[in-house]
Amino acid sequence: QHKQNVGVSTGCQSGCQTCSVYNGCLTCKPKLFIHLERDGMRQIGVCLASCPNGFYGMRSPDRNDCIKCGSECDTCFNKNFCLRCRAGSYLHKGKCQESCPEGLVPSDTKRECVP
Amino acid sequence: LCILQHGAVGQGQSTPATCSPLCRCDEDGGADCSGRGLTAVPSGLSAFTYYLDLSMNNITELPANVFRNLPYLEELRLAGNDLSYIHPEALSGLHQLKVLMLQNNQLRTVPSAALRNLQALQSLRLDANHITLVPDNSFEGLQQLRHLWLDDNNLTEVPIVPLRHQGNLQALTLALNRITRIPDSAFANLSSLVVLHLHNNRIQEMGKNCFAGLENLETLDLNFNNLKTFPEAIQSLPKLKELGFHSNNIAEIPEGAFHRNPLLRTIHLYDNPLSFVGITAFQNLSDLHSLILRGASMMKDFPSLTGTVNLESLTLTGTKIRSLPAELCDDLGLLRTLDLSYNEIEEVPSFQGCGRLQDISLQHNQIKQIERDTFQGLSALRVLDLSRNQIKFIHEDAFLSLSGLTNMDLSLNSLVSVPTAGLSSLNQLKLSGNLDMKNTLVAKSLPKLRSISVPYAYQCCAFTARDGPGSSAGEEDKSKATGEDEDMDRMPLVVHCSPSPGAFKPCDYLLGSWMI
Repeated sequence: QHKQNVGVSTGCQSGCQTCSVYNGCLTCKPKLFIHLERDGMRQIGVCLASCPNGFYGMRSPDRNDCIKCGSECDTCFNKNFCLRCRAGSYLHKGKCQESCPEGLVPSDTKRECVP
Repeated sequence: LCILQHGAVGQGQSTPATCSPLCRCDEDGGADCSGRGLTAVPSGLSAFTYYLDLSMNNITELPANVFRNLPYLEELRLAGNDLSYIHPEALSGLHQLKVLMLQNNQLRTVPSAALRNLQALQSLRLDANHITLVPDNSFEGLQQLRHLWLDDNNLTEVPIVPLRHQGNLQALTLALNRITRIPDSAFANLSSLVVLHLHNNRIQEMGKNCFAGLENLETLDLNFNNLKTFPEAIQSLPKLKELGFHSNNIAEIPEGAFHRNPLLRTIHLYDNPLSFVGITAFQNLSDLHSLILRGASMMKDFPSLTGTVNLESLTLTGTKIRSLPAELCDDLGLLRTLDLSYNEIEEVPSFQGCGRLQDISLQHNQIKQIERDTFQGLSALRVLDLSRNQIKFIHEDAFLSLSGLTNMDLSLNSLVSVPTAGLSSLNQLKLSGNLDMKNTLVAKSLPKLRSISVPYAYQCCAFTARDGPGSSAGEEDKSKATGEDEDMDRMPLVVHCSPSPGAFKPCDYLLGSWMI
């Protein structure tokens, strides 16, 4: 019998406060980020201390969410400030660009504009 | 056991690089030991490890020299442990470390001694600990530091001295702490800072020059604080693009509020008890795309938007504004949505210059009439809400240009009639509440109508309302059977008309009074 385990925190993954069999973590323990992974049609909640690549952690008093970075960005500080760009673009002051400003040159290994 | 084949350094032989049995290693020098219930740093890792993830374990402290065999480490993740103590020599030898994640631990102070020699460190996460103290020398050795997370701790003030020498810092968050004031020159030497988050603190007081020195700041987040006055200190921020101070206690936006921030793109100021907004507050913000002002209840004059030429969405509701400037659209050629509802507007100018308008909300005002040119040229308009006004008269050509209009709400006005010329795309029309409108409407001129509400049920008879495709066939047979006049102007199908006629509200309008 498929027992819906909504809201019961026993038997949850680590970091979960409440979870359900079908959707994984529903809420997280304090200060952890909830991240929704896709599994086919389903969304599975997982609780993390740091968000996966391509996401950043947005903290607020009642919940902490993993939020998608900007399109060209691998890891970011917030939606508009990148920490590491995807291959093919170069980081300068938090922005991913295809070319570098004057006086700087693109470094493919670092994916940054460097002096 | 996962063995890596890797040439030994300087010995000419191939010695296998190792991986701890407690971890999973990849070929590039990455070691994932996260979530394994570890209480200590595992030994036996390859000397060439450059990425080590120890997050979500139960490590409570880091002893001295625990990473001395990992000289090439660039990223160390220790988030989500129970770290409460880091020995001053714990991180020694990590000369290439760039990223250190210590968030979600039990630290009460910044482990300044342990951080001292991390000259290559760029990103330091200390968020979600219990830090109350940031020693003055906390970040002294970190000349390359660019990103610092101190949010979600127990700081009661800005760590001014520790930050004093961080000229390379680009992003800093002090959000979710207990900071109550920002003194002058709090961030004086942070000339490279681009992002500063201070949201969810208790900031009441800000020095006029508290942001002095932040000449490159682009994002400032002051949301969810206790500010009572407008943060004038933003005048020190010439490069500011994103500003948030919503959910504070600010009552006034002064004149020229943003005149030193010409690059502003977004301003979030909702959920403030605004009562006054200076007329010149939003001038010359040519990068501003959206402006939302709700509930500035004492505001009487429409703000000047000269120079704010790229606005696409303007919401200004809940004020005492009675009139709009005739040249409103001179600067708003790109406007797509305009919400001026819940004001006291009596007259509306021509919106002709706002040729891209798609949505106009003017409900809940005191408008009395609509002129010929009010909506002239607005072929892109889709939705028009004029409900809850006092409109008595609409010029017969007022809607001629509105070939794209699909939804119009004229309910609860004082209309006697409504022009339909030009409304070829209209599929929803609301006229209820216009009690003086007793004439029957001409169905033919609204070919796409699908839903209409009218003041009186008999007016629905002109639209031969039919609910659902099934019932329409029946209706047609009936009309053939009764030999009804084929030439009657039969309205193409109207899916819904209310209030629909019925036994006690027959289609015939009897003797001028509906009571018989």
